[in-house]
Amino acid sequence: MPLIAVGVNHRTAPVDVRERLSVAPAQMLETLEELRALDGIEGAAVLSTCNRVEAIVSAREDVIEPIVGWLTERAGTARSEIEKHVYILRHGDVLKHLFRVASGLDSMIVGEPQIGGQVRAAFLASRECGTLDSLLSQVFDQTMRVAKKVRTDTGIGEHAVSVPYAAVELAKKIFGDLHGLQVLLLGAGEMGELTAEHLSAFGLEQIFVANRSYDRAIELAERFHGQAVKFEGIEPYLATCDIVIASTAAPHFVVESEHVHRALATRKRRNLFLIDLCVPRNIEPAISEIDGAYLYNIDDLQHVADANRELRQTKAVEAEQIVDREVDAFRRRLIAQDAVPTIVELQGRLEDIRAAELEKCLRKIGPMNAEQRAAIEQLTTQMVNKILHYPILQLKEAEEPAERETLRKTIRKIFGLR
Amino acid sequence: MSPNLSLYAALALYAAGTIVALATLFTREKRPQHIALGTMIAGFVAHTVWIGTICVRTHHPPLTNLPEAAGFMAWVIFAIELALFIRYRVHAASFFVYPLVLMLLTVSAVVHEPFVKSPAAISRLFITHILLTTTGVAGLLIGLAFGGLAWAQDRALKSKQRGALWDWIPSLNVCKTVSYRALSIGFSIYTLGILAGILWSYRTSAELMDLRVKQVGAIVAWVLFAIVLQAYVNDTYRTRRTAIIGACAFVAIMVAILGIHHV
Repeated sequence: MPLIAVGVNHRTAPVDVRERLSVAPAQMLETLEELRALDGIEGAAVLSTCNRVEAIVSAREDVIEPIVGWLTERAGTARSEIEKHVYILRHGDVLKHLFRVASGLDSMIVGEPQIGGQVRAAFLASRECGTLDSLLSQVFDQTMRVAKKVRTDTGIGEHAVSVPYAAVELAKKIFGDLHGLQVLLLGAGEMGELTAEHLSAFGLEQIFVANRSYDRAIELAERFHGQAVKFEGIEPYLATCDIVIASTAAPHFVVESEHVHRALATRKRRNLFLIDLCVPRNIEPAISEIDGAYLYNIDDLQHVADANRELRQTKAVEAEQIVDREVDAFRRRLIAQDAVPTIVELQGRLEDIRAAELEKCLRKIGPMNAEQRAAIEQLTTQMVNKILHYPILQLKEAEEPAERETLRKTIRKIFGLR
Repeated sequence: MSPNLSLYAALALYAAGTIVALATLFTREKRPQHIALGTMIAGFVAHTVWIGTICVRTHHPPLTNLPEAAGFMAWVIFAIELALFIRYRVHAASFFVYPLVLMLLTVSAVVHEPFVKSPAAISRLFITHILLTTTGVAGLLIGLAFGGLAWAQDRALKSKQRGALWDWIPSLNVCKTVSYRALSIGFSIYTLGILAGILWSYRTSAELMDLRVKQVGAIVAWVLFAIVLQAYVNDTYRTRRTAIIGACAFVAIMVAILGIHHV
């Protein structure tokens, strides 16, 4: 049964087209039912993220025209407008595409981890709506397996490619588990806020916010369920906090070497991670020389992110190889599976002929001992197996569905199968 | 199964696992690391069989001569490494621990010494001395390995340059904690082992110790490990001085191990 994917993504369509086609979770059931109601469609799933909207279907025939028509209707635009942006994939290309998408290889930021969850959610929604047939179910399971394998074997999503995530990655390299740590956020700069937000997702114990404007500090602290502190009184917090994020507009150093020396003296073997996201810098660079203090400024973090981006590109090459191997293996499995009913029927038919003819022959020959009878049984069975060998092989190896269908019809005709 | 067969099987598997693990330093791929770990575990099973057959054959733990003690120490080191891997998923320790385990088991395979059957050698006190010393040394060596990782991680974070080990090393906190705990526990057990040895020596020869290579090496190692441990307590473990003392402690302990020829 043909597999077909029709859709648009961030490379083929601008955001105004994607947003018109996107499907909100609340509309998913209705959308899937509409798609499934198109003629010839057996199973259907819709993948809708901010970067792509795709209809993935298994169908009895080529149903591309109705799907494009359906997309046009959804977008509320001219068909020619949609046709400019849409891509159409068939059979093995659908598998490769899905494996790549779920592994993050087709994402705007290569290797980003969220897409795996989005693909899973899309298929689970289809399963819940009852629009997932057995073929799409298998494709879904295999897609998730391949995505997991790619991520485990290559580690493609392990390294951060943005400055705030690079800070989180470094914090994990220093502290391991971020659970229970305390963070001091100095200033209300956007990057600092974003970094604190990412860190807070890892179970921090407390975020202290200090700002020149105490009201703004209170406002920000409430957002993180943290505590506002007076900007002039930050020094005691250097001794208790594990991560310090500086993001103020101050034209001078806010944290100096002697502050850190005094703080570390009371910390007893606990490290201090300082993140300076400001220009001009707010944390004295000499602090990086102090044992137990790790200072990263905005350029350092950008270098980490850039190096990670390059690393992901290297890993992507390995990942593509894994995807190619998996597509090949899965296609073979599907083809073999598709041929099974015909093969079983063919074997049954020839076995019936063999058994009937053998019986007639044995009646003519007359009495014989068990050994002689076994020899004749073996001879006839081997002959049947030899005759079946090539037809079965051809059925299992025909890659194109059209070729496979022709072959199946021919074999059925030749051997007189129902 | 012949004891030698299981020993050589363990050796071959450890060698294969070590080579594959070291190769991942250059490829940075995870799959070979998993293969290396699997191979090492298979080697560990064969190693366990070897130790078991010696126990059955001699009716005492395999601790009475150099090949036995080196083999037992390798076994304990790998067992600790495996436990730490299960707890912390630390791949980087394999770059230090696997070669060490391979080296110690090679000593067991290459050095041939008869089984010691003297009553003194299989007395409870002697067995306690060797068991504690061996286990303590295994802990100390693991502590040094993780100390090395902590040092490498600290350098990488300070210099903002990723080394070959960056992806394999766990967080600085994990390296430091494991190293400190392994050193402190290993040191305590090792100290008890040395005291048991002194007591055994006094009982058998009326002397606290003679100044042969193994005794001198063991005492020097004890002093050096005490200094390393003190560096952890004072939080000065990152210094070059501590790294050099740690390296010297490793050499001293190796001298002490290789100095075990006969009781």
